[in-house]
Amino acid sequence: MAVITYLDAISQGLRDEMRRDENVIVLGEDIAVFGGAFKVTRGFLEEFGADRVIDTPISESGFTGAACGAAVEGLRPVVEFQFADFIACAFDQIVNYAAKNYYRWGIPMPVVFRGPSGGGFRGGPYHSQNPEAWFTHVPGLKVVQPATPYDAKGLLVAAIRDNNPVIYLEHKHLYRRIKEEVPEDDYVVPIGVAEVKREGSDLTIVTYGAMVHESLAVAERLSREGAECEVVDLRSLSPLDRDAFLTSVRKTGRALVVHEAHLTGGFGGEVAAIIAEQAFDALDAPVTRVAALDVPSPFAAQLEDAMLPTEEKIYTAARDVLEY
Amino acid sequence: MATENPASFLDPALDRTSIAPESAIDRDQLVTWYRTMCLARTCDEKLGALYRQGKIVGAVYLAVGQEAICTGVVSLLQPDDYFSTVARGLAGWFLRGVEPKHVIARWLGRDVPPSHGRELGLFLADIEHHGIAPYHNGSMASWIPSGAGFALAFKVRKQPRVYVAFTGDGATSPGDFYEGLNFAAIHKLPLVVIVENNCFAYSTGNAAQMPVENVADRAPAFNIPAEVAFGNDIFEVRRVAKRAIDHARAGNGPYLVEFKTFRTRGHGEHDDMGYVDAGLREFWERRDPLRLFREYLAGAGGLGEAGVKAIDDECAASIEDAVAWAEAQPAPAPETVTDRLFAP
Ligand SMILES: Cc1ncc(C[n+]2csc(CCOP(=O)(O)OP(=O)(O)O)c2C)c(N)n1
Ligand SMILES: [Mg+2]
Repeated sequence: MAVITYLDAISQGLRDEMRRDENVIVLGEDIAVFGGAFKVTRGFLEEFGADRVIDTPISESGFTGAACGAAVEGLRPVVEFQFADFIACAFDQIVNYAAKNYYRWGIPMPVVFRGPSGGGFRGGPYHSQNPEAWFTHVPGLKVVQPATPYDAKGLLVAAIRDNNPVIYLEHKHLYRRIKEEVPEDDYVVPIGVAEVKREGSDLTIVTYGAMVHESLAVAERLSREGAECEVVDLRSLSPLDRDAFLTSVRKTGRALVVHEAHLTGGFGGEVAAIIAEQAFDALDAPVTRVAALDVPSPFAAQLEDAMLPTEEKIYTAARDVLEY
Repeated sequence: MATENPASFLDPALDRTSIAPESAIDRDQLVTWYRTMCLARTCDEKLGALYRQGKIVGAVYLAVGQEAICTGVVSLLQPDDYFSTVARGLAGWFLRGVEPKHVIARWLGRDVPPSHGRELGLFLADIEHHGIAPYHNGSMASWIPSGAGFALAFKVRKQPRVYVAFTGDGATSPGDFYEGLNFAAIHKLPLVVIVENNCFAYSTGNAAQMPVENVADRAPAFNIPAEVAFGNDIFEVRRVAKRAIDHARAGNGPYLVEFKTFRTRGHGEHDDMGYVDAGLREFWERRDPLRLFREYLAGAGGLGEAGVKAIDDECAASIEDAVAWAEAQPAPAPETVTDRLFAP
């Protein structure tokens, strides 16, 4: 098994699926000749040809709608948004067409929307957002957000093979920073199944995406101080593996919910509500959330750091919950 | 609104008050098309009545006055071609084998496939039985990108099939119209766009919707051929649409045809059309597509008044039967509401 980056894992998963299934096509801006803004599809044009690797005009709604139509006809398009922020331009096709098609007609639409998302590298207001909650509110969409190279590849393969529209949010700040051993062969990480990334008995941290790494770092630090955190990586937000975090919270009696997206209306609110409804008896402390401040992503380092949930903020909140 | 000079309602070069085919057409074909248009008209009138009786709830949208366009265009399609309609395509469905009883049952919110009460009777997607592709009719023009996507799939698989996207005039203003046609034109996809310009988008006239006189005037932006024609003459519709379909099927890319027409009912039956000039209504009533076709068939078409009336009566009876069947269908069970959210 080779050690590869999160970015290469995505690339590998996509390339393998294109080799296995000629119905898989990719489309997006600058993905063919240039290999993508982040180089996820480098070399794809040469290998698969222009019919399957399509440079689109700058028209997110247009190529998203086209991908949806092609998907109904049996292709398995994987759409790359250059930055997840611009998925806003395709919002209508995703929430009003893709999400509702099967419910309305019983006709499957196997399409994947890849959104390079997340901040932490000074991208400013339009290259840093985490738009998952825009989509978890919409029935009929699956939403996944991998944190590790292994999950990134396995969830992408699962998303491509799924017969439903899947929003696949890959965190840009993990692309080249996070590496691990990833099997070269075929495997999937099933959509809708969370994973306990670290076991512990004193506090459950429910998280996903980039914040899994921050949460694991906090767990190590707290471990040295004598408290053991269990870190539950949701991996999929929709469908949601409720049992995974409820089981953990019933064991630890304390829950901290962490994500990089904004606090208000963020997915963490849903997780907190489920815990309050279904594990109230088990709680020894209020369910607490750590998330980005409710302001747009600012550019300057001092401002972005102040806005994002950092390891320090998670640590402080975790201590508060543990000491409640 | 002041009554305008009738000549200004339509380019005189397009206008006519009687119709005839250029060359002889098989009698059975003529009867099939007429029956289809008549069935759609009768069905629509019945839907309006059911709405006024409170049996159809919400709103109801009819296609009265536009039947020649979808009938003519769909009559040219091959069985494996796809099309999608917006709100004015009932006759096109019927020509493709959709049954009035199913349409009425859907309008009544009954538990019939494929939507089982989840969607208005106005919309239908059924690829398997009728080649009607699922489209996102919620937001105007969204079907142009998806139509391009179906056409892309045909092209990638090297299949000589076409996708026909019917669209209203108002739906040519949203960005999706531009984005979808732009993409289709770049890749020379077999997408035929049939614009049914019925003078209004809800209450808003063409002049407040676009800075050009014809939708077709927008085609140069996509470097695709476009034509303007009279949409209430089924023979003219077929003549022009054939050029478009042949062009797309041959791999030459998209083609746009704009048919001038008029909806003689409101946007929906809740709409009293107070914004429509009386002269304009009269102008188009004289050019009603069913009336023009009927006059031809009863006369030079050789069916005679009795022959045509027999078809009219047959349509009326079959719609009555369809309503009875539809009303007897069960409503969906409430507990099915969460079913079929995701495909297996
Ligand atoms: C994006 C969007 N905005 C508004 C509406 C509401 N709406 C439905 S039909 C319609 C008018 C459509 O006019 P046109 O395209 O000319 O079609 P017609 O009804 O005349 O056949 C409007 C405004 C909509 N469906 N989608
Ligand atoms: Mg109109």
